[in-house]
Amino acid sequence: MRKMIFTAIVVMAANYVQAQYPGYKLMSDASGFKTQFAAASQKTVSIKSDFIQEKALTMLSEKIISKGKFFFKKENAVRMEYTEPFQYLMIINGSKIYVKDSQKENKISAKSNKLFEQINKVMMECVNGSALNNTDFTVRIFESNQLYMAELSPVNRSLKTLFKNINLLISKKDFAVTRIEMHEPSGDNTTIDFVNREMNTNLSDALFAIN
Amino acid sequence: MRCLLLISASIWMLACSGPYKAMQKINADPGCVKVFRPSFTTALYNTSVNVTGKHLSGLLIIKTMPDSSIRLVFSNEAGFKFFDFEFSGAGFKVYYIYKQLNRKAIIKTLRKDFQLVLMNNLNSDGGYILKNDHDRFYCFPQGRDHYYYLTDSVCGKLIRMERGNSNKRVMSAIAENFNDGVPDTIGITHDNFNFDIGLKRIYRYAEK
Repeated sequence: MRKMIFTAIVVMAANYVQAQYPGYKLMSDASGFKTQFAAASQKTVSIKSDFIQEKALTMLSEKIISKGKFFFKKENAVRMEYTEPFQYLMIINGSKIYVKDSQKENKISAKSNKLFEQINKVMMECVNGSALNNTDFTVRIFESNQLYMAELSPVNRSLKTLFKNINLLISKKDFAVTRIEMHEPSGDNTTIDFVNREMNTNLSDALFAIN
Repeated sequence: MRCLLLISASIWMLACSGPYKAMQKINADPGCVKVFRPSFTTALYNTSVNVTGKHLSGLLIIKTMPDSSIRLVFSNEAGFKFFDFEFSGAGFKVYYIYKQLNRKAIIKTLRKDFQLVLMNNLNSDGGYILKNDHDRFYCFPQGRDHYYYLTDSVCGKLIRMERGNSNKRVMSAIAENFNDGVPDTIGITHDNFNFDIGLKRIYRYAEK
């Protein structure tokens, strides 16, 4: 009887995982994936890409879609240029952040601004793949036919107020992050799809300069 | 451009400020200003906030829900939410506010500022009208707060909105260039501390 209940729970849990992420199954042993992903991340010196960001407000049944250009350069420099439907530039370079909106430009020290510090860290680690080893998250790896999905669930209370979980979709072909999904506790979410990716092209330091 | 608009609006507002007590009360229907109430179905605004020398930008979405309540959700450009408020006949509800903004004074100020602009709580019963040489001030008291809607002499044009008490103004707002009942530009400026909000509508924000 106890065995039957245990089997039923295991089957229900497996079904829940599949219902949560249709087309994906949980990898019981993800060590092979992690090794290959770490090796690919090691080789990635720069990324140049277009991006499409979609903010879904579930209660309002509304979506806000914005587009722009994304640049990453090792170790920790990111430039995001929003071009549609508004102009906004964000550069993260180490612990420094520069933002320019339609009115003003602003330099922020990530250390002096808790929100920016957290966003900075999460964004950088999602792009360079080190989030998988960050002890601020518990990590589960799923796979579909074409993609791996790393589900990062925050452990600390501060991150839990911002994110229910962050999912990184990773191409099986080249182990590049193709999408970042940020799920909020309210049910709202923000996804960033990276398209027209160019890996390891020569990117000028001037793109990431914060003077 | 938006900055210039805000500055000129601020100067205009300051130039026109005056004590309400010196004005004359007149008998007419204060409800006539309800025709100026914006009808937000869904509108997205590029938003800038300047508060005590600090600048913040982001996106504000205003949506009228099926139950007629109005939701305001403000997030930064990268999608991180700052607040999610509901205004309805039943009152005001905070669905979410980022913990560093979660202060009673901040929430109260934002609630009152947006309530003035949304014009969703105009009770004609307690309302009255003041006049000066050129304009009419349609006043709707709510407790110690008084919400004023300044129009021309025939209630044909909404010039600006103000909040204060029965004597003195504490903030002003403008809503301009209406398109299908939705203002293209909204500006909010406080008199007693350095705080202003500028909204410029964004069209075509849901196309892939």
